[in-house]
Amino acid sequence: MVAVRFHGRGGQGAKTASRILGTAAFLSGYVAQDSPIYGAERRGAPVAAFTRFSREPIRERGAITYPDVIVVADASLLDDATARVVDGMDDQTVLFVNSSLSTDALRAHLSLPEQMTVRDVTGIALQQLGQREAISALLGAVAARLVGLEWESVRLAITRELQDLAVTAPVIEKNLTVAKQCYDSSGPASLHKGRSQAISVAALHRPIYEPPTKGTARISAAGNSVLRETGGWRTFRPVLFADKCNGCWLCFAYCPDGVIAMNQEDRPVVDYAHCKGCQICVHECPTHALVAEREAEGGVAWTAK
Amino acid sequence: MDSQMMTGNLAAAWGARLADVDYIPAFPITPQTEIVEALAKWCERGEVAATFVSMDSEHSMMTAAGAAEVTGARVFTATSSQGLLHAFEVLYSISGWRAPLVLVNVSRALAAPITLESDHNDVLAARDAGFLQIHAETCQEVLDSILMAYRIAEDERVMLPVIVNLDGFTLSFTREPVSLPDPDMVRRFLPPFRPSHLGFAASSPHALGVAVIGGTSYAYFRHQMHLAAQNALEVHREAADSFHALFGRRYDLVEGYRLEDADDVLVMTNAGASKGKAAVDAARAQGKRGGLLRLRVIRPWPAEAIREALRDRRAVAVLDQNLAPGQGGILYQEVAACLYHEARRPRALCSFIGGLGGQNLSEGEFQAIFEQTAEAGVAGRGLGPVLLYSAEEHREMTHLQMVATGNA
Repeated sequence: MVAVRFHGRGGQGAKTASRILGTAAFLSGYVAQDSPIYGAERRGAPVAAFTRFSREPIRERGAITYPDVIVVADASLLDDATARVVDGMDDQTVLFVNSSLSTDALRAHLSLPEQMTVRDVTGIALQQLGQREAISALLGAVAARLVGLEWESVRLAITRELQDLAVTAPVIEKNLTVAKQCYDSSGPASLHKGRSQAISVAALHRPIYEPPTKGTARISAAGNSVLRETGGWRTFRPVLFADKCNGCWLCFAYCPDGVIAMNQEDRPVVDYAHCKGCQICVHECPTHALVAEREAEGGVAWTAK
Repeated sequence: MDSQMMTGNLAAAWGARLADVDYIPAFPITPQTEIVEALAKWCERGEVAATFVSMDSEHSMMTAAGAAEVTGARVFTATSSQGLLHAFEVLYSISGWRAPLVLVNVSRALAAPITLESDHNDVLAARDAGFLQIHAETCQEVLDSILMAYRIAEDERVMLPVIVNLDGFTLSFTREPVSLPDPDMVRRFLPPFRPSHLGFAASSPHALGVAVIGGTSYAYFRHQMHLAAQNALEVHREAADSFHALFGRRYDLVEGYRLEDADDVLVMTNAGASKGKAAVDAARAQGKRGGLLRLRVIRPWPAEAIREALRDRRAVAVLDQNLAPGQGGILYQEVAACLYHEARRPRALCSFIGGLGGQNLSEGEFQAIFEQTAEAGVAGRGLGPVLLYSAEEHREMTHLQMVATGNA
């Protein structure tokens, strides 16, 4: 069995990429299975998707704990512990990262496996498709190439899955052209199939009763959302041109996440560790003092703890 | 203590009154209405210091009840049948919040076809909702069980809501003598509600029933609810001891009637058990050693007490006043499950379904039950589910079918 795990952010198409791979494997005659997992649906939040295919019936379901291939749609997820991108990864895992950074730059602070490919799929999408987030077909094509599926199956799979999403025929054609380039520019990876993870009998904990203050689904520590940094969800950030600001506080009032504070001069101060980049403040600002600027990948303004 | 004639419904209202509840959200439904009418009247006159609010449905009613309870108020409410089912999803939230309110259910069979009289498919549908359940046989027991329910529910070892069940018509509208406990003694039995995990203060906000994804946290909290319900077995015993000491009446998890030397035992719940006891007496008058086990607490399931009561019997008959279509009697299944590991279990376990929708349980039918059960015990082989229906009922039904089709 081949197990591929996709990591992305809500809206990037990780789920669709996993479906393209699943359908491509199915059309190639394999037994295939794909599934996504996400919390309450939110654009920008980490999501994962899983594709398995095999010549035999698949007796697994749900999350892939030990993937053969990991496809990362957004390099910032590597730094986000809650996204659990590196879970179950070892030196035999095949890793693909969508990033404009170099392999060395990504390796600088993370131990990553030998078989690692980095490609700026987002850059390709922006350049050729004119859309930053339309990368599901591209990621699906790359993944399919890594696991050795034929282009014809991939082509059909992309067509079917994008049709399902009501993508128009001309846009599908464009996607196929770019996906073929991505497919051709990679080579099949060397997969170490049939790995056997040592399984030991689980140590079971016998639940004991705890007082209702502990045993009830109850949060009494107010304001703990500050612990969950969501700055990495942004693709654009609001930036203030202070000379244009009239100090009206509208940005402060409209911010749905309460990450805009006002300083003593009545100027907004954005908490970039938590700003999700929704741009509502930019939209509401009557003097256009707040402007959306594209996030530079690997920038130092925000680093997840 | 003075006794007076009162219905089961009025006894339920008195239970809430004596428990000194703070908040009563209400929505009327036959055969429960008299409960909320009495409480509305007392609240209006100032005889009860609770806030009484008429709601627009049982769903709203239960939501308001749970919301008020988590502020730290003592809450009482009541419903029946379709009303209980309309409120159903909220039941699971309330128990998950660990909000120990008391809900009286006046049992009434479920539509369709629609009817007004009692059986237990309504209350037993809620058996997995995380509410404890106490099923009462008499009007006195309705009142007393409500007081015990608050004491058990509000215990820090439990903190789960309780349903107190009484049968529609056969108890709800039936008057019999009820002794009203002295309010000062009730205060000794039932201390003020001071939950550690609930309450409302703007200075210390907290969130209840928060979202948990992934299963790890969810499973923990569900396990806690199970452990809390299990704790209620011991907390019930303590409450029963205390209640007995103060008021002289004793209520255990199960009640045995003429069990000492019984060969065959009939298992029942609720008000119908009174007729079951009469049937035991009738059987004994004929020289048959029958007995009755009344299941009073249904959640937590008193498995050990049931095993103890049914050990070494020749045969046991469970008379379910409910029907799970395609399965049979609900309580039969649970009794059977808890006897499986009992080495000295009865030689035969029989299942009877009767009293659906207020259907009469005749003396003759009880005789038939004891007869068939004894035979099953001798043969060492259980039977059922037997759908109790007398030849006379069948004749009546045949006539009604002719009327319904215009062939009368």
